[in-house]
Amino acid sequence: MLYAGYNNKTEGIIIMRLKRLIKGALLVGALVLAPFAASQADYRIGVSVPAADHGWTAGLLWWAQKAADDLAKKYPDTEFFVVAANSGTKQVADVEDLMVKQIDALVILPHNPATLQQVISEAYDSGIYTVVVDRELETPAQNVFIAGDNAGMGREAARFMAEKMDGSGNVIVIEGMPIPINAQRVNAFNEVMAKHPDIKILDSQPSDWSPQKALRVMENLLRKHRDVDAVWAGDDDVLKAVMQAIEEAGRDDIKLVVGGGGSKDVIGMIKDEHEVVQATVTYPPSMVASAIALANTGVRGENLGDMYHHVPARIVLDAELITEENAENYYVEDAAY
Amino acid sequence: MNQARLAGARLSDRLRSSGLDFSILAPLIALVVLLVISSLASEYFLDLRNLTNIARQVSYTGIIAIGVTFVIIAAGIDLSVGSMVALVGVVLVYIINQFADPVQGVIIGLAMAVLSGALFGLVNGALVTWGRITPFIATLATMSIYRSLALYFSDAGEMVSTNSLFPEIGGGYLLGLPIPVWTFLIIAVLAHILLAHTAFGRHLCAVGSNAQVARYSGIRVQRIILTTFVIAGACVGISSIMLASRLNSISPSDAGVFYELDAIAAVVIGGTALSGGRGSIWGTVLGALILGVINNMLNMLGVSPYLQGLVKGGVILVAVLMQYKQSR
Amino acid sequence: MTDPIIRTHNLCKSFGPVSVLKNISLDIQPGEVLGILGENGAGKSTLLKLISGVYTPTSGTIEIQGEAFKQLDPILSRHKGIAMIPQEFNLVPTLKVYENVFLGQERRRRGLLDKATMRAETARVLKSLKVTLNPDATISELSVAEKQMVEVARVLVNDARVVILDEPTTVLTDREVTVLFDVVRAMQARGVAVLFISHKLKEVKNLCQRLLILRDGEQVDLCDVADVNEDDMARKMVGRELSQTFPEKQDHPTSVALELKNLNIPGLVRDVSLKLHHGQVLGLSGLVGSGRTEIAEALMGLRRHTKEKLVINGKEPVIRSPSDAHAAGLAYLSEDRQGKGLVMNFSLTENITLLSLRKYTAGLISRSRERRQAREFQSKLAIKAASLETPVGLLSGGNQQKVYLAKLLDIDPDILILDEPTRGIDVNTKREIYYLIRGLAEQGKAVIVISSELEEIIGLCDPVLVVREGRIAAQLTGDQINEEDIMLYAAGARETAAGTTEQQGITP
Repeated sequence: MLYAGYNNKTEGIIIMRLKRLIKGALLVGALVLAPFAASQADYRIGVSVPAADHGWTAGLLWWAQKAADDLAKKYPDTEFFVVAANSGTKQVADVEDLMVKQIDALVILPHNPATLQQVISEAYDSGIYTVVVDRELETPAQNVFIAGDNAGMGREAARFMAEKMDGSGNVIVIEGMPIPINAQRVNAFNEVMAKHPDIKILDSQPSDWSPQKALRVMENLLRKHRDVDAVWAGDDDVLKAVMQAIEEAGRDDIKLVVGGGGSKDVIGMIKDEHEVVQATVTYPPSMVASAIALANTGVRGENLGDMYHHVPARIVLDAELITEENAENYYVEDAAY
Repeated sequence: MNQARLAGARLSDRLRSSGLDFSILAPLIALVVLLVISSLASEYFLDLRNLTNIARQVSYTGIIAIGVTFVIIAAGIDLSVGSMVALVGVVLVYIINQFADPVQGVIIGLAMAVLSGALFGLVNGALVTWGRITPFIATLATMSIYRSLALYFSDAGEMVSTNSLFPEIGGGYLLGLPIPVWTFLIIAVLAHILLAHTAFGRHLCAVGSNAQVARYSGIRVQRIILTTFVIAGACVGISSIMLASRLNSISPSDAGVFYELDAIAAVVIGGTALSGGRGSIWGTVLGALILGVINNMLNMLGVSPYLQGLVKGGVILVAVLMQYKQSR
Repeated sequence: MTDPIIRTHNLCKSFGPVSVLKNISLDIQPGEVLGILGENGAGKSTLLKLISGVYTPTSGTIEIQGEAFKQLDPILSRHKGIAMIPQEFNLVPTLKVYENVFLGQERRRRGLLDKATMRAETARVLKSLKVTLNPDATISELSVAEKQMVEVARVLVNDARVVILDEPTTVLTDREVTVLFDVVRAMQARGVAVLFISHKLKEVKNLCQRLLILRDGEQVDLCDVADVNEDDMARKMVGRELSQTFPEKQDHPTSVALELKNLNIPGLVRDVSLKLHHGQVLGLSGLVGSGRTEIAEALMGLRRHTKEKLVINGKEPVIRSPSDAHAAGLAYLSEDRQGKGLVMNFSLTENITLLSLRKYTAGLISRSRERRQAREFQSKLAIKAASLETPVGLLSGGNQQKVYLAKLLDIDPDILILDEPTRGIDVNTKREIYYLIRGLAEQGKAVIVISSELEEIIGLCDPVLVVREGRIAAQLTGDQINEEDIMLYAAGARETAAGTTEQQGITP
């Protein structure tokens, strides 16, 4: 019986199954085919972002979709493709696929810049209007670079903390992922703190911007350090995990926690005058939406707004400090982040 | 029943003797069907650029899947290949950047990449054979170890090559085909010959089918198993060269993530049973192509990236179910 | 005669156009043992599968205790008291005896397992079979024979009225067979009908009251055992006059092929010495577990051992693995054909050339040369298979065994060690294999045959070494080779003989 596979009947079954599979697949094919057959747009804009693996990237994808939908309505001659990749190599393939679709403009937030360098250069060199978001390439290959102020994010947070702590105390830093923008933030933070000799940075560890990992890291750090005055969590989702660890450990020595990014939840906490969480610094995921708008303007060769120039080559969004005084202005009810 | 069985056996004999194994017929048909659907569904699909893109994207995991095919035929498994891609890549970029002369750097770098891949494979094989640890556990451990070493040596940062010649390997073309695709094809041909036409291949199948019988037949079972892991490691080395040179860099946290699963999926879709004993390289090549076409098609159609895993999983299940029915 | 438990009427079964069973009409009485005889492929298994509900009859009826069925299914059949004890046991090795006996039909009390009752009932059934077996023993610790008893107990607690035993004695030694027969008689005494399938005519003659003989799917005879002798049975099975089962022993021992001195395997084998000549068929007899197989495995480099000396054809080779042994001219046929002998999903060709692959390889394997050689073996050994590419798993046991022999012969060994060369094989193929073995000896090869079947040892071998508890208990030659003497030495009832072991003395 074991090798009954070599008989006619099973062959018949397999062929029958394949037939059924083909039928089903053709049906699916026909369904998805319909909307694509008609598309003949003047401009095609491809948007490639990392997959939503934490709150900020989820916000990013939300804003990218929103901008694509909004602009598609406003500009019927333009078609948008938004793709998300869970790894740098997958993103390379995504960009290759977008180029096959003959896009005129590419908006990309590179998962990791060096991995994407080669393929972005290819796109740029082939005449595609390229907007790089957030993470800068080592060898520039873009028309526009738009980013948040990474150094400013660290600087603002450090200034606020140093002031609140009256220039002395113990600090724990929860970093993000080991990529350049993280280094820019942390370096700027450390630079400011270096001016305050009585502030001691006890530990500085990566969380990869994962709340799950941050919780574990923070639990361990709280056991290691018995006397902590303040924590800087480089990301607002990570901040929530840090707070959970602190509350569960019942630690009341920690008087101050500062975040980064500007998520709705954390702004809400600040607005409601949270005892410990007193500030965060903006690093808005909506930058990708602006980037798409820039690409849409740039690819047509138009000027930006009432400016007398084309789209500027570098745009850096301000890193704004949010405290209880101004939190009201930053709170957006239906935002995803 | 007997007559039907005999007729079936005769049919499969004819297929086998004509060099076309029945077991790769199913993935071949599946691939053709996918190609037809894809070309109907997307106007861009048959674009030459798109086809070469698919072939190149497939070649990285495809080369690894060929190596893993050997391990799986010997009834083993290798979960560490993904992490090994990152570690070999880090070694490779580091070595290449040590040489001022680009030609020298590339030659020595490539040789070292293949060698270090083989060495990491040897470690896996040694754990399995001399250490007597089951392959799943041994390579689960090295998966973690290799990734960790890659992160440590590179200080968790991306490493960029400064060699001007290096990107030409993964990004270059030869007679209209990307070099990684050529590499993939050549390795497939060599692997096929090794598996189907040499004593090693025959012994390998015997070991995978029944290690006890192989031992009683005077086959050095442990050495065969060790060799399969070394082959897988060397294939990882080659794949890592292609990937790192295509990107001109290596990201230790990102490179090769989930490659082990893609490779195993390609092997299984290609008709090689995880229980070992028999398998086909062409099946694996087809399996890798099927996965690549699915990815590309879903991208082209704008299907949510989150649903792509569902389709991939579905294809794996269908492939295994068909094998299961076939072997009953 | 009382009413039969089972009566079949013109039972037929065909698969597509192939008719495998034709017009079987028989009745089975409570408390009788009915033997079913037939060559491999005669339809025995099909008949059993019809009765146990695995197959549906093409035509005809099965009556169970007066109730007629056009078709049965396994669960219904089981429910009606028909139980089959398969050759491969369905026991869970990690569970205890009583847990296996009640597996799937556990007694419960208030929702929880009633272990006490299950233990007691198991003990009771075992006792009624006159078997001493601890209900709390773990299956994996039991011998094959004991496992079989557990299977019997399992069907009996289920109130089986008909028990089917499918070649139960192939895996047992003669002493264990005696125990099994007692158990069968005990079942008989309880009014249970037993269907007994065996290749061994003598067993059938001893145990059964009536006989059903099948040939090519047809009912050749249904008769009382008392009315036929073994020759009649064999003739009816095969359909022609069988020439002598065993070829003449024509020993012309020439030069010494193998000389082994004081082989030791810790805990298993002690001080075994033997001398084998070309042209000889040497028998290794003894109970299962006496160390016979271990001696062979040590010679092949498959087991750690120490020895004083091993001379093969005048040389003293170092053998650490089977490939060393093959190089020294040895070849070993394992008793476990499926587990250690053949790669079941390999084709005939691939199996035959597995040991000798180097012969066909110059960098790449030459498929055509392989196939040519396989074809030669196929015709020489009369191997029946759809083609040379058929996986050996599809072949019958007898044909598999021939492929296994061909695999050994393809390295042209000087010395063959054949462990249970005819296990699970029909009479006709057995005979062919006996002639083949004898032929090899006449060609000047040296052969060692290890067997649990005394008949085989007696008919084929001279000299015979009897192994008991890891030692050579006796070396018998000529007229000394008879059933009684071998059994006495094997069972330890007689201690010494004019064996060589005693003359060796103890080496310092």
